[in-house]
Amino acid sequence: MTDWLLGGCCGAGGTLVWSASSWVPAAVAGCGAGVIALAARGGLRGRAAELGLLAGALVLLVAASAGPVWVQEGARTEEGRLVVLVDSSRSMTVREGDGRSRGDEALARAASLAGADVYSFGDGLRSGAPVAFTAGDTDLGGALAGIAQRYAGERLRGVVVLTDGLDRGGLRRRLSESPGSPVPAVPGPLTVVQVGAVGARADLAVADVRGGGFAFLRAPFTLEVQVEATGSARRSVPVTLLRDGQPAGTATASLDAQGRGVASFTLTPDQVGRFVYEASVPVDEGDAVPANNVLARAVQVVRDRVRILQVCGSPSWDQKFLRLFLKEDPSVDLVSFFILRTQADMGAGWDPDELSLIQFPYERLFSSELGTFDLVILQNFDYAPYFDRDADELLANMARYVREGGALAMVGGDRSFDLGRYAGTPVAEVLPVELGVTGDATDATAFQPRLTAGGARHPITALSGDPAENAATWERLVPLDGLNLSRGLRPGAAALLSHPGRTSPDGSPLPVLAVAEVGKGRTLALMGDSSWRWSFDEAGGGRGNQAYLRFWKNAIRWLVGDPGDQPVVVEIARESVQLGEEARVRVRARDTAFQPVPGAQVEVVLRGPGGDRTERVVADSDGVATVVVTGDQRGAWRVRATAVGPGGAPLGTASSAFTVTTRDPELDVVAPDSAFLRALAARAGGRYVGPGEVLVPLEDRDAGRVVRDRRETSLAAMPLVPALLLAATGGSWLLRRRRGLR
Amino acid sequence: MSEGAWSRRAVLGGLAAAVGLRALPARAIGPASELDVAEIQLGRGTVSRPQAWSRLLFELIQSTSVEAEPRAVQVAPDDPALFKHPFAVLVGDDALPPLSPAAEQQLGRYLQYGGFLLIDDASGQRESAFDPSVRQWMRRLFPTRPLAVLPSDHSVYRSFFLLREAVGRVAHHRRLEGIAQGSMHPVVYCRDDLSGALDRRPDGVERSACVPGGESQRREAVKLGINLVMYALTSNYKQDQAHVNQLMREGRLE
Repeated sequence: MTDWLLGGCCGAGGTLVWSASSWVPAAVAGCGAGVIALAARGGLRGRAAELGLLAGALVLLVAASAGPVWVQEGARTEEGRLVVLVDSSRSMTVREGDGRSRGDEALARAASLAGADVYSFGDGLRSGAPVAFTAGDTDLGGALAGIAQRYAGERLRGVVVLTDGLDRGGLRRRLSESPGSPVPAVPGPLTVVQVGAVGARADLAVADVRGGGFAFLRAPFTLEVQVEATGSARRSVPVTLLRDGQPAGTATASLDAQGRGVASFTLTPDQVGRFVYEASVPVDEGDAVPANNVLARAVQVVRDRVRILQVCGSPSWDQKFLRLFLKEDPSVDLVSFFILRTQADMGAGWDPDELSLIQFPYERLFSSELGTFDLVILQNFDYAPYFDRDADELLANMARYVREGGALAMVGGDRSFDLGRYAGTPVAEVLPVELGVTGDATDATAFQPRLTAGGARHPITALSGDPAENAATWERLVPLDGLNLSRGLRPGAAALLSHPGRTSPDGSPLPVLAVAEVGKGRTLALMGDSSWRWSFDEAGGGRGNQAYLRFWKNAIRWLVGDPGDQPVVVEIARESVQLGEEARVRVRARDTAFQPVPGAQVEVVLRGPGGDRTERVVADSDGVATVVVTGDQRGAWRVRATAVGPGGAPLGTASSAFTVTTRDPELDVVAPDSAFLRALAARAGGRYVGPGEVLVPLEDRDAGRVVRDRRETSLAAMPLVPALLLAATGGSWLLRRRRGLR
Repeated sequence: MSEGAWSRRAVLGGLAAAVGLRALPARAIGPASELDVAEIQLGRGTVSRPQAWSRLLFELIQSTSVEAEPRAVQVAPDDPALFKHPFAVLVGDDALPPLSPAAEQQLGRYLQYGGFLLIDDASGQRESAFDPSVRQWMRRLFPTRPLAVLPSDHSVYRSFFLLREAVGRVAHHRRLEGIAQGSMHPVVYCRDDLSGALDRRPDGVERSACVPGGESQRREAVKLGINLVMYALTSNYKQDQAHVNQLMREGRLE
């Protein structure tokens, strides 16, 4: 009863605290004084008890309104907590030799640690044991840091980590590369428990394919295929490499004591663009994860510099100005060969030792080395005096080089075109102009070339972005000194500049500058030897040499045809998608002036492992056509897009590649990483528990936490207070009534 | 580069010539693209030696695959016609008059955009009044790039002949000087009267004796003249790696 009346809590060792604002008791006291004054109006005689009781009630009411609180404070110590982290990543689904998954083993071990706070970690830290082992990442470092943050200021009895050690969050790599690197501090002794045994299940895996992601055209680069084997008796592993699904080589990886090895492939790309290289190792019987036996990587092949071979039959101003331009351009790797002396010059009486001349290595240049050039410029060069017995073969090489993707420019002069005896040769078949002129093969009359309708739109003759200004520039340039004659354009070729008066046998203006696409390559014919005057005369007029430089820069860019410089470009955001995922292919359709072509008809051919599939789409208002492809078959996919304008004019083709993979990064390598776990335990000053070993966590017996208690009891709420109030005011009222007062 | 003269190719080439596959003499299609020499004339201080240049171009035609129009035209430094002749010479034996602003501007453009200027001190003296005036000109044209002696491995010494020194009618200095612009030297200066060694009277008789080397020195001067034209045409071609490596392999270059 007494406890009830006192609220049951007013023990010793407390402190009285007044919690209400001071104006509250003041107001109550004021009101109370008014009540007493009213009550005392009938006189004070014989009313001491009545008014005394009323005053006592008032005092009690004022004290209660001041919010008296009885505060008691104390502290107690609780035992330190044990925290358990269970790896919930997909690698924990791997079944061990006894058929039980690593996840099940981890859960069983966690359950043996009664009373522990259990967390799961993978791509984050979550309270509770894992329900399923589906996390797509393993970030052990992040999990340890999360625990340190969550239990900041507390000393834990211990932290137990249950994992296979296949961390992909960076901690494993850091400790591997730099064993002395720090590990996240945890607020208690660390016990690292390895789940899963190395070699319990045989697995052969391509761990990585390293090549830097890009390579330079025609420059050898190395792809290193890293192989890892666990539980296998193999000492070496054959590695097969495919490029876009086609064989690119085989090599053998010798395995070290840890079952690791590298197979190196030295490759020399012969085309620019994106290519998929896929490395694979055999799938042995019982292989734990067959999907990790294959790994694909995309390699972007770029052109570091345009490699140009300039062969000139005789030094001339035309040759000099072109060489000056090519030599000064840092994006050009120029190899020049000029014929400085011919058979006709050998009677001048000079001793050979006086001369600074070297052999013209034409056989090497036009056979084995031809493919190393992006562009061959034959400038007033007649092959016949030099090619002698090998002429047919070397000329055929040149034509084949073009058809297979090379570029050839023939520049005029009195040793070029028909005067170079190319008529009837394989080279004539790839030139844009028809040779076989009868009679005079040149016209030495100066003339002003005319920009054709095709030339007005073509990037080579775009000296200005403004069509009117471009046309005016071509009209302003100094006339050419003369012309190599031809029989007109070859089928499929286009004239960009034409003669103002002379015509072809079919009546069309005679071409001065013509281009053609032949097979995979491109050719250009400039029917004269005085384009140098577009440089020097313009400079003499105070206009610089930009027209000349722009012309040749445009020409080279068009001739070598880099993928990024094409009117049509294929863009694929991701180089690799998972099986069943979608790949988004964007095709940018532009015209020769590189303006977007809205409404362009785009045909996209998707060549996957299962064959070809064709999609037809229309470009949007930005000239972009989008195709979404579901990667439903594993392997390399090549995308080839062909675009035509709304009017049917071809815009061009382009290609790129991506890969569809079944690999799960969590299962790239499945052998538990004992070395990492041991190193982690050592660096943290903790304990490593191997597979099959009894789990006895490292514990800090002194760990614990001090829990502070604070008890606050409102004295105004004690039942005694209203009881006293009621008694005092009731007694006062009864006494007042007995005196007859109301 | 290049010729097939000293090997199996020479023999084959000769056979080819016999059956009509002989390389043709090269000519530009139109006359405006043909090689000739522009003599810059200022009156006082400058000398005109058209016969010297005709002879040089003739020797060039005889010795190399280059075909030219063996002529010299006289132009003023501010004459726009200068830009029709990318090879120009300035020969003098006395102090040159100052360049007019127009001439200075045009010569600067000419050399910047591909023109070549050979300066030749025709005084025959070790120190002449021509020399300081040339240097004054060059300071005006190239304020930040002084005339400097060309190193012995410069392309001009191997553009056709392998030369160890540069001599003309006299042999006081035996080295060329030049002004660099990028990888090129668009201005080359000879202080040993190269044109004097090349010059002939209309009847073909040499105008001056070469001292101290006589006719062998004249022969070297002709070779230097050919090299200068070849250098103007091919610039640093002979510095290309293929040439250097090949000449070193053959022991003709150290």
